Amino acid sequence: MSKIKIENVCYVYDGGTPFETVALDNINIEIRENTVTGIIGHTGSGKSTLVQMFNGLIKPTSGKILLDGVDIWEKPKEISKVRFRVGLVMQYPEYQLFEETVRADIAFGPKNMGLDDAEVARRVHEAASFVGLDESSLDKSPFDLSGGQKRRAAIAGVMAMRPEVLVLDEPSAGLDPAGKNTIFDGIKRYAAATGAAVIIVSHSMDDMAKYCEDLVVLSHSKVVMSGKRNEVFGQGELLEKIGLGVPQMTGLMMMLREKGIDVPADIYTVDDAEAALARILGGAL
Amino acid sequence: MSYIEIRDLNFSYRDDEKPLSVLRDVSLDIEKGEYVAIVGHNGSGKSTLAKLLNLVIDDYEGFEGSIKVDGKEITSSDMTEDDIYELRKKIGMVFQNPDNQLVATIVEEDVAFGPENLGLPREEIRARVDGALMTVGMTAYAKHEPHRLSGGQKQRIAIAGIIAMKPECIIFDESTAMLDPMGRREVVDTMEKLNREEGKTVITITHYMDEAVRADRVIVIDDGKVVLDGKPSEIFAEDKLLRQCGLDLPLCADLLLRLRARGFSLKGEINTPEQCAQTIADALGK
Repeated sequence: MSKIKIENVCYVYDGGTPFETVALDNINIEIRENTVTGIIGHTGSGKSTLVQMFNGLIKPTSGKILLDGVDIWEKPKEISKVRFRVGLVMQYPEYQLFEETVRADIAFGPKNMGLDDAEVARRVHEAASFVGLDESSLDKSPFDLSGGQKRRAAIAGVMAMRPEVLVLDEPSAGLDPAGKNTIFDGIKRYAAATGAAVIIVSHSMDDMAKYCEDLVVLSHSKVVMSGKRNEVFGQGELLEKIGLGVPQMTGLMMMLREKGIDVPADIYTVDDAEAALARILGGAL
Repeated sequence: MSYIEIRDLNFSYRDDEKPLSVLRDVSLDIEKGEYVAIVGHNGSGKSTLAKLLNLVIDDYEGFEGSIKVDGKEITSSDMTEDDIYELRKKIGMVFQNPDNQLVATIVEEDVAFGPENLGLPREEIRARVDGALMTVGMTAYAKHEPHRLSGGQKQRIAIAGIIAMKPECIIFDESTAMLDPMGRREVVDTMEKLNREEGKTVITITHYMDEAVRADRVIVIDDGKVVLDGKPSEIFAEDKLLRQCGLDLPLCADLLLRLRARGFSLKGEINTPEQCAQTIADALGK
């Protein structure tokens, strides 16, 4: 069974007014546990609205969101329980750091869950190690950290609640390459250690190719494709048409095929391309 | 004499009790008509450097050394308001967040904002606005409301607003960071067009190595210092040093370096996908 199932979900802003806008139009998606799923789409495609539905920040106008088969809005008063199970890391989460120390900030979530001090301390330690923050930085003020470290502290604050579903909206936006790699490594460590369903929203086809097993593509409020990575990236023309494009290595392979070189179609990352070209060059020389 | 001449520049922020040194002994020459990418990790000082060039940061006491633009020293404390005004006419700047740069409720009014403030005649303003919208490919949207446009379109309107001031040089400070793939492509294509067709000096500050590779020259800043400065093909051959600086290679450069490390002889340029495909095809005799 899928961890999260989105069934016929619609969301309308300003319904009944002249400014009525359909942000999500009959969305059906299944998110598997133990899997990293990427959500891609252009600005205004409905991604951020969808992301805020997973943990009940926005209630669908119609349709259902099932977590382990149970509609999260069945008992609206208990929606806060869903927020402990589905952790959402919003865009630029470091703006939400507020405690005096990094340690206190990461501890805020687990404390709110009513865990005892020993368990809270254990969770803080674990979350910090997922994102690669060392013990010495935990007693600093969040404001004395670098941009990349602040981002990691904010993500650790959500990981410390050990959510079964971890949703991250553009977790690497604005970071330099090293900062970006550290964030994605942290997410991978969390996924491997907990078996959680991880959902990442990103604009980078190359990052999606590298880190995600499943993909969902949104365009103009609708799901236009979803499935395994190769099923989605296999449809390069459609991705180009909706303005998203394909991963750079996939594009490179398309150019090589045009030059008459017989390269495989399912190449998405530099690792894939290196292996395939080493074989071809090795055979030719 | 170069268009921009930076000599022994040191700069510190002095907000707190102890000054924070951001740029150290930077000396650079940027010629008119160059297309330069400046890369460096978060906090490396690259953005500060860009913001000093048109005095968005104008804290003279933090300065040491000299910056000359078109022969005129801009870091001296006797720069008047008018001098700063003249400087910003020469060097325009496009920032990261398109929503923070638009001021009017109609696209063409937004683009006209700068020229109107110059007190230009009506016909001249009209001509500049039309020309600028044409350059960024947004003529059809002249009467639209900016807030209804996509990120890339908004950013192109912001660029049009700068172009309408007829600057000689435009600095893009992470102007693609918040855009989706199509928006990024639109803005990078616009940068290239401004440089190649309109002859503008373009300086782009970016975290995307795949964008930096398209410039004629790449400058790597680390810890406030210039550590590399050269053609993209020279810079992106320095994989170890770049990674030490918290940066990465463009994916195609990474691929070809890895294949070379496996002993394959691949001669030729390695940076853009087109160059990379050609280099591989040549090696296979295709």
